[in-house]
Amino acid sequence: MASANSKKINLKLKVWRQKTRADAGRFEEISAPEIPVDASFLEMMDIVNNRLIKEGRDPIAFDHDCREGICGSCSMVINGNPHGPERGTATCQLHMRKFHDGQEIVVEPFRATAFPVIKDLSVDRTAFDRIIASGGYISVNTGNAPDANALPVPKEKADDAFNSATCIGCGACVAACANSSAMLFVSAKVNHLAVLPQGEPERERRVLRMMQTMEEAGFGNCSNTGACSLACPKEISFENIARMNSEYMKASVKRRD
Amino acid sequence: MKLDSKAPSGPISEKWSKHKFEMKLVNPANKRKHTVIVVGTGLAGASASATMAELGYNVVTLCMHESPRRAHSIAAQGGINAAKNYQNDGDSVYRLFYDTIKGGDFRARESNVHRLAEISPNIIDQCVAQGVPFAREYGGTLTNRSFGGAQVSRTFYARGQTGQQLLIGAYQAMMRQVDAGGVKLFTRREVMDIVLVDGVARGVLARNLVTGELESYAADAVILATGGYGNVFFHSTNAKMSNTTAIWRAHRRGAAFANPCFTQIHPTCIPHSGDYQSKLTLMSESLRNDGRCWVPKTPGDRRPPEQIPDDERDYFLERVYPSFGNLAPRDVASRQAKFRVDEGRGVGPTNVAVYLDFRDAIKRLGEKVVSERYGNLFDIYEKITGDNPYKVPMRIYPAVHYTMGGLWVDYNLMSTIPGLHVLGEANFSDHGANRLGASALMQGLADGYFVIPYTIGHYLAGTKLPKVDTQHDAFRAARAEIQGGIDRLMALKGSRTVDDFHRALGTIMWDKVGMSRTDAGLKQAIQEIQTLRSEFYEDVRISGDKSYINPELEKAGRVADFLELGELMARDALERKESCGGHFREEYQTPDNEALRDDENFCHVAAWEYSGQPGRTNWNRHIEPLSFENVKLATRSYK
Amino acid sequence: MQKSLSYLSSAIGRKQLMAITGLVWSGFVLTHMAANLLIPFSAELYNKYSHALITNPAIYLAEGLLVLTILVHIGNGIKLTLENRRARPQKYAMGTNGSKAPRFQSTWMIFHGSLLAVFLVWHLLTFKFGTNYQIVYDGVQMRDLHRLVIEVFAQPAYVIGYTLCMVGVGLHLSHGFYSSFATLGFYHPRYSPMIHGLGYVYSFVVAAGFIIPPLYVLMTKAN
Repeated sequence: MASANSKKINLKLKVWRQKTRADAGRFEEISAPEIPVDASFLEMMDIVNNRLIKEGRDPIAFDHDCREGICGSCSMVINGNPHGPERGTATCQLHMRKFHDGQEIVVEPFRATAFPVIKDLSVDRTAFDRIIASGGYISVNTGNAPDANALPVPKEKADDAFNSATCIGCGACVAACANSSAMLFVSAKVNHLAVLPQGEPERERRVLRMMQTMEEAGFGNCSNTGACSLACPKEISFENIARMNSEYMKASVKRRD
Repeated sequence: MKLDSKAPSGPISEKWSKHKFEMKLVNPANKRKHTVIVVGTGLAGASASATMAELGYNVVTLCMHESPRRAHSIAAQGGINAAKNYQNDGDSVYRLFYDTIKGGDFRARESNVHRLAEISPNIIDQCVAQGVPFAREYGGTLTNRSFGGAQVSRTFYARGQTGQQLLIGAYQAMMRQVDAGGVKLFTRREVMDIVLVDGVARGVLARNLVTGELESYAADAVILATGGYGNVFFHSTNAKMSNTTAIWRAHRRGAAFANPCFTQIHPTCIPHSGDYQSKLTLMSESLRNDGRCWVPKTPGDRRPPEQIPDDERDYFLERVYPSFGNLAPRDVASRQAKFRVDEGRGVGPTNVAVYLDFRDAIKRLGEKVVSERYGNLFDIYEKITGDNPYKVPMRIYPAVHYTMGGLWVDYNLMSTIPGLHVLGEANFSDHGANRLGASALMQGLADGYFVIPYTIGHYLAGTKLPKVDTQHDAFRAARAEIQGGIDRLMALKGSRTVDDFHRALGTIMWDKVGMSRTDAGLKQAIQEIQTLRSEFYEDVRISGDKSYINPELEKAGRVADFLELGELMARDALERKESCGGHFREEYQTPDNEALRDDENFCHVAAWEYSGQPGRTNWNRHIEPLSFENVKLATRSYK
Repeated sequence: MQKSLSYLSSAIGRKQLMAITGLVWSGFVLTHMAANLLIPFSAELYNKYSHALITNPAIYLAEGLLVLTILVHIGNGIKLTLENRRARPQKYAMGTNGSKAPRFQSTWMIFHGSLLAVFLVWHLLTFKFGTNYQIVYDGVQMRDLHRLVIEVFAQPAYVIGYTLCMVGVGLHLSHGFYSSFATLGFYHPRYSPMIHGLGYVYSFVVAAGFIIPPLYVLMTKAN
């Protein structure tokens, strides 16, 4: 099938290559000629990989799946910015029309102690799962629920919860943060559940446990630079962090152990 | 092969209650002695893992993603149906049951569908209790929207991200059990084989995608919740990693594959734009609540849309289906779009698209309301195409979206392999020949939260299960076989990439086993797929190594399975000499191009038993007759 | 789960400690700056003010509080920075930029913070522990701090260094002020932007208020 837009650009990639977690890793320069501007960034990577394979070289590993900006798999730092230059966009939604002919693009993995690189651009983000496991839920066994309309939730609160709940868990906040802090991720979940009446019974325990897990996983401390929100493909507000700070303070005062 | 649906007797509305009472129970102290493997962590897998662990079973959960939250359920946009009748517009369990049977073009099992409708309200309750932020009215109650194939508003939604919110709810419930020790979670594991001991499913063999090692997991029962196989078409709205491997390997071990040709083509996707394209992006069906589909009346009219006056536009869905209009079901709406393009009235640079226009909705509701309802979808559209849908009508075209077919299961969701249960899109059970919008989420969660937790107990309590561990010969044999297959693939240093083969397969499938099918085309497709498959085993090139992350090797295994599945889909389509739902045979249509069912000869489920030998595929076709005792078989009309 | 971290050793607890100690000093620098504005106007008023200040017994309490808070602020700041470095041992080849770059003063807190720590020592040595001139007003003998100030600010090199440090104060405060409110949990979609704006005005006023007297002195008294 013919392309809608036949315009193509030539690019020079400088890509981080690292065979395994233990490997030291280095940058490799790979040229990427004839890239259609209507292709997404990941489709550009596909084109480059197909050429590498045909040359018998190891293709560049990167995480991806839905390619619709919702699964949170894609995770590169493109020219210094997690998910590339465009605000509110995941790498899979970034299109090559945002780049110009002859441009050099530096592609790095997310870098953080808590997100070790496992191959090339692919990192291990299971620390996020551990944080959720330590309290990012409402404890309600299946079958215990009252009728869905039994407890009205004001629209503003539902919307507020939703805005925090749109986090896709990609880790761009950590990647962008000068301190590799996961505060935006943690606070988005804490607020999502704290705003809703259903989340009320566990709110203190939740924030204390999730923050402890975050610290133990090796993430850094928040210094309110706001880089996390700027990098977030879902533009989760920095407000979440401020609200979690007060949530945490109150929980620390109230705790009885 | 005997296909016993095990559907309980009695009136339809009492079958499930009766069955729940009659099923055997495992006492709480004994539950912890049983281990159950769950493969996949989408809505069905995550909800099943969480619920079974809450009940006290030892659950071992495997997923191929780095995190269970990446499962493709996350991408579902529009909503989830439930017969709550909160809108007081005449909805009921029976009406949801009826709509689903009719929407599925009378090719689903009545008993299963009724159970689904019965359970649907509980799902909403459960999700709200978990903190899923569904859309609400100012008064604090839940709001609904309407969806294709229904005349009531019964769809609950969370903006355009309902799947994400429901999955996160199920994921969190499961992670709570991971913390409590009830679920042992293994990520980046791809299941390569189902291990049978004395004909009973007793474990799986999985490849650790980080180290490349093969790992064995033993259990008392195995549950597959691995999703659909739409990626056989290469271009689909499915996520790139979605695959058929787990269910296909189970099929090769003896699980019957039911109705493989029933695939759903979703009418509203962003059209294909170039060869580099890796996937198609869905625009939620909910857009059809306010968007109007049209093409120019004159073929070849190349004017920009805003210059085409209303009387020269053909609002074709409103014209052909006055009572359902733009909310006609998916299969019907897709076919109409195809007809318009075939008539030369397609739009956009490739002429393979139709407009979905929000001009009137914006005029009626204002841009703010439209943006509240669909803002994120409009943003996605603009990012991909560079066009602003507030100003220019969207261009859409159908794309493969969902597969109604899957492993055959009985009323207890057990496949033809004892102990092997299949949930969600991976099974065939509830949608017949066409799935209604917002019903996939409903089915995945119904299976996981409310069906399997009961039926698994019935199976475990009623089955003698001698102790089996991973040292058993069956595991060793499976491991050797899988390792041999991987080594064989790695050794072929051919000239074509895995994607080349996958695209070639996709083209065959889309052209000949896609939106409309013919006898000749299907026969040709079977031949072409067989040829492609033998080329694959001679000429595929996988670079890299098997001992670290190697996405090419992963893809190769999946495409190898798609190359067999594609053939089976074509065979099934060839044998089903009727048109129904998503399966449209050009030979069987009414004078006004509607699907023409043949209830006399094809009112059944076709379940295929694999009987191939290494290097040669073959199948036996079995049937499970469908009887409609509650809904009268009728021609499906949305006019 | 082991016993949860105590509040004061937790990430948020320590961050809030930074905020509270920072706010104490924000208040202090504001009053200090206001007093400095007396320098161009009247030696007598300035000297009397400083005399009143240091002879008030409460000064020991205030000084104690300032010393304690600054030590906590600096110590904690260094510790947090070291931990943050450990959280990313391998640096990026390129940093965030364009529309995704945060305000630069926010990411450089440790740098202007360190500058201010050095300045603080220098400042104390110059003035608090500098030459103790004496003067008598209305029969009361007191320190003639004004004379020392004029002597020091008449040196162009000193004023340049001082001015640079005060720019550092402005930058540090422009992040610190707003950030402290967020850290203590105050955030409101309507009021937070105002606090943000107020933070900028405040830090500009403080920095400018500190810079004006030496510039005035330099321009009028330099030989």
